[in-house]
Amino acid sequence: MTEAEARQRIRAYIVENFLYMRPDFVFGDDDSLLRKGVFDSLGVVEVLNFIEETWGFSVPQDDVTEANFGTVAHMARYVAFRGAEAV
Amino acid sequence: MCGIAGVARVEGPPPSAEMLGRMAGVLRHRGPDGYGFYFGRRVGFGHVRLAIIDLECGHQPMATEDGALVITYNGEIYNWLELRDELASLGHRFRTRSDTEVLLEAWRAWGCAALDRLNGQFAFAIHDTRGGTVSLARDRFGVRPLYYAEWPAGLAFASECKALFASGLVGAAPDLAGLDETFTWWAPRAPRTAFAGVRQLEPGSWALWRDGRLTVRRWWTPSYAAAPSEPRDALEQLDGLLRSSVALRLRADVPVGAYLSGGLDSAVTSLLAAHASPYQLRTFSIAFDDSTLDERTHQEVVAREVGSAHTVETAGLADIARVFPEVVRHAETPLVRTAPAPMYLLARRVCEQNIKVVLTGEGSDELFLGYDLFKETVVRRFCLRQPDSTVRPRLFDRLYPYLAHDARGGELWRRFFLEAGSPEDALFSHGPRIKMTSRIKEFYAPEVREALAGIDVAEEWRASLPSEFAYWSDLERAAYLEVSVLLPSYLLASQGDRMAMAHGVEGRYPFLDHRLFAFAASLPECSRLKGLREKDILRRWALDRAPAQVTSRAKQPYRAPDAAAFFGPGAPAWVDDLLAPGTVQGAGLFDTGAVAGLVRRCRAGKVTGFRENQALVAVLSAQSWHDSFIRDPLVPRSLPMSGADVVLYEGGRVAPTLEE
Repeated sequence: MTEAEARQRIRAYIVENFLYMRPDFVFGDDDSLLRKGVFDSLGVVEVLNFIEETWGFSVPQDDVTEANFGTVAHMARYVAFRGAEAV
Repeated sequence: MCGIAGVARVEGPPPSAEMLGRMAGVLRHRGPDGYGFYFGRRVGFGHVRLAIIDLECGHQPMATEDGALVITYNGEIYNWLELRDELASLGHRFRTRSDTEVLLEAWRAWGCAALDRLNGQFAFAIHDTRGGTVSLARDRFGVRPLYYAEWPAGLAFASECKALFASGLVGAAPDLAGLDETFTWWAPRAPRTAFAGVRQLEPGSWALWRDGRLTVRRWWTPSYAAAPSEPRDALEQLDGLLRSSVALRLRADVPVGAYLSGGLDSAVTSLLAAHASPYQLRTFSIAFDDSTLDERTHQEVVAREVGSAHTVETAGLADIARVFPEVVRHAETPLVRTAPAPMYLLARRVCEQNIKVVLTGEGSDELFLGYDLFKETVVRRFCLRQPDSTVRPRLFDRLYPYLAHDARGGELWRRFFLEAGSPEDALFSHGPRIKMTSRIKEFYAPEVREALAGIDVAEEWRASLPSEFAYWSDLERAAYLEVSVLLPSYLLASQGDRMAMAHGVEGRYPFLDHRLFAFAASLPECSRLKGLREKDILRRWALDRAPAQVTSRAKQPYRAPDAAAFFGPGAPAWVDDLLAPGTVQGAGLFDTGAVAGLVRRCRAGKVTGFRENQALVAVLSAQSWHDSFIRDPLVPRSLPMSGADVVLYEGGRVAPTLEE
C-alpha cells in the first residue's frame, strides 16, 4: 500500500460516508477536515474504524491526534508509515 | 387524567356540537372512561375522561353551582383534600368528592393566585361566563400539555395539536423553526411547536383570553439559590419530602402502579410507594433483546426488594419499528431518538393490566444533577481552565467509559467536548448536545436551509433566559436549561405524557413536587454532584433503604435501538414508502439525494455510528409526522352528544344527555 493509494481510499471513504449529503462540497487532501467541517472529532473515530479494518492494524490511543488524522494527507502518511512498520 | 379541548369566539356562531365532538373524538385515547361538553354563547368546551378520582361524580366539564365558572381540566391536584378543607372553612360548599370541583372553587376564591397553592400536574381552561373570559393554565414543570391557536376572532385550545386540527379552524403546516429546534436540542421550545400557528402554553404559565386577546403570564419559574453548606437535617428534610410527595401521588380511587427502570430514582419512588400503599404494588419495566441496552437484572432486584407484582415488557427491534408511526402521531413532533417507542409499548402493557396510574422516577436527574451532561459540564470547565493540559481531558474517558472504549479514547475524541462551546456562552452546558444533534441539518432540503437562513434558534433561546441566569453557576444554568426546556418539551411530552396517554395511562412524578424542587435547588452543589458522583444526597438517603446494587450503580442513560429497527428482514413496508424520493420531495423537509444516500447506507448495513443513526430517526420520524398530519391526516370522527356523561349549557344547569 503506497501513500498515494491510501490517500485515494481514505478520500473515497470520507466522500462516501460524510459527504453524500453534500455532493458539491470541495476539499483538498491538505485541508483540515475538522476546520472545514467535513466532520467533527467524533467523526474521526469512524475513519479510524475504517482504517483499522482496511489495513489490519490497531491505532493506539496516543496516536489519535490531529497531526496524524487531521487531514487526508496526514492519515495516508500514517497508514503508509504503519504499513512499512509491519513489513 | 383526561383530554381537554375548547373554542372561544368573539363573534359568530357558538362552537357546534359537531366541532367539539370532533375535537374530543381525536383525544379519546386520553379519556376512554367518558366524555362531556359545555356550550356557551361564545365558548364551548369538550372533555374526555380518564376516571381516577370520584369515579361517580367527577364528570366534566364542570360548573360552579351558580354556573358562573365552567372548567375543563386535565390533571391531578394532589393536595385537593387540604384545599377542600380550607375552602370549606371559607364557606365554599361541595357537591362532589373530586379535585375538579376543588380547583373550580379555588379559582373562584383566589383567582389566578390559586395556582400558587396547587401541588399537582394540570392543564385547564376556566370560562368565566360573567366577563366572557377564558383562563388557561399549566403546571409548574409542564407535566400536562396545553396547545392553542389564536386568530383575530377566536381561540382554540386542546391537550394535543390533533384536536386543534380536528376543529377545522386550524390547519396543519410545519413550523420550520420548531423543527429546527427539534434538530438542535431534541424538541421545540415552548411556546413554539412543530406546527405553524400552534403554540404551547409555557410550563408555569397562565393566560387570559378577553375580547379576542390572549395575555400570557408566568406564575412560576425554576429558580436556584444554593446554600453554602448542607443543612444538618438535610437528609431528614429529604426523607419527609419524598414520603409526602409519594403519599400525595398515591391519592386515587383506582390502584396506582409504578415504573421500574432499574435505576435509583424509580427504586426510590417504588420503595416508598410500596410502604405507603394499602395493596401490593404493581411494577412495570421495559426490557430489550439487545443486552447492551437491557437493565432487567437490576429491575428484578428492585422488584424483589419492593415486593411488587412485576411485569416486564420486552421491546424487540420489530416491535419498535411496528409502532413507530403511532408513536410519532402521538408525539406530534419529529423525534431524534426511538426511545419513546418502548415507553409506548410499556404503557400499552400497563393498560392491558388494567392499571391507569403509574409513578415514575422522572425529574430526579434534573433536581439532583444526575445526567452525564452535568458531569460533562464540570469536566469541560475544568479542562478549559488549562487548555494545554493533556491529562485533564482524560477525565472524559472516565465519564463515558463505554463511548471512550468504542471511540478508543484519544485526543481527538476528547476534543469534541472541549470545542463544543465557550464557558462564556449561556448554552455552554448544552454545547456538545447541540453540536451533535445539529448534524441532522446536513440533510435539510435547500429550501429549508433558505427559509431558516435568518433564524438562529440557539440565539433565541439565549435571548429568552431570565436575568438571574447570569448570576447562576454552570451547573445551575445547566439544570435550568434542562428543567425549563428539555424536561417539558421532550421527556415529559414525547417520552412521557404522549406515550402513556396514548393508552389512557397517567404518569405521576414524585420528584416533580415543587417543594422537593425548592429543597434540591437550595442545596449546595456538592450535595447533589459530589466530584463525579451524581445524586449524592439521594444515594445517601437510599443507602440503607434500597438494594446496594442500585444505590452504588452509576447512572445508565436510557437508550433504545435506532436505525437497525427499520431495515433488514421483517422491516415494515411503510419505511420504504416514507423514504422514497417522491415522498421525501413531497414533504419538502429533507434533500432527496441526501436521504437516498442515507437509506442506501442503512440498507447496506453501513450505518453504525451515532451520527447517522440519529439522522435516520430524524428523517424517518419527520416523514411519518408529515404523513400523519399533513399529507394524509386521519378524518376525525365526532363523539355524539347522545353518549356524553354530561352536557352543560350557559345559563342552564347540568343537562343529562339521556333526558334531552
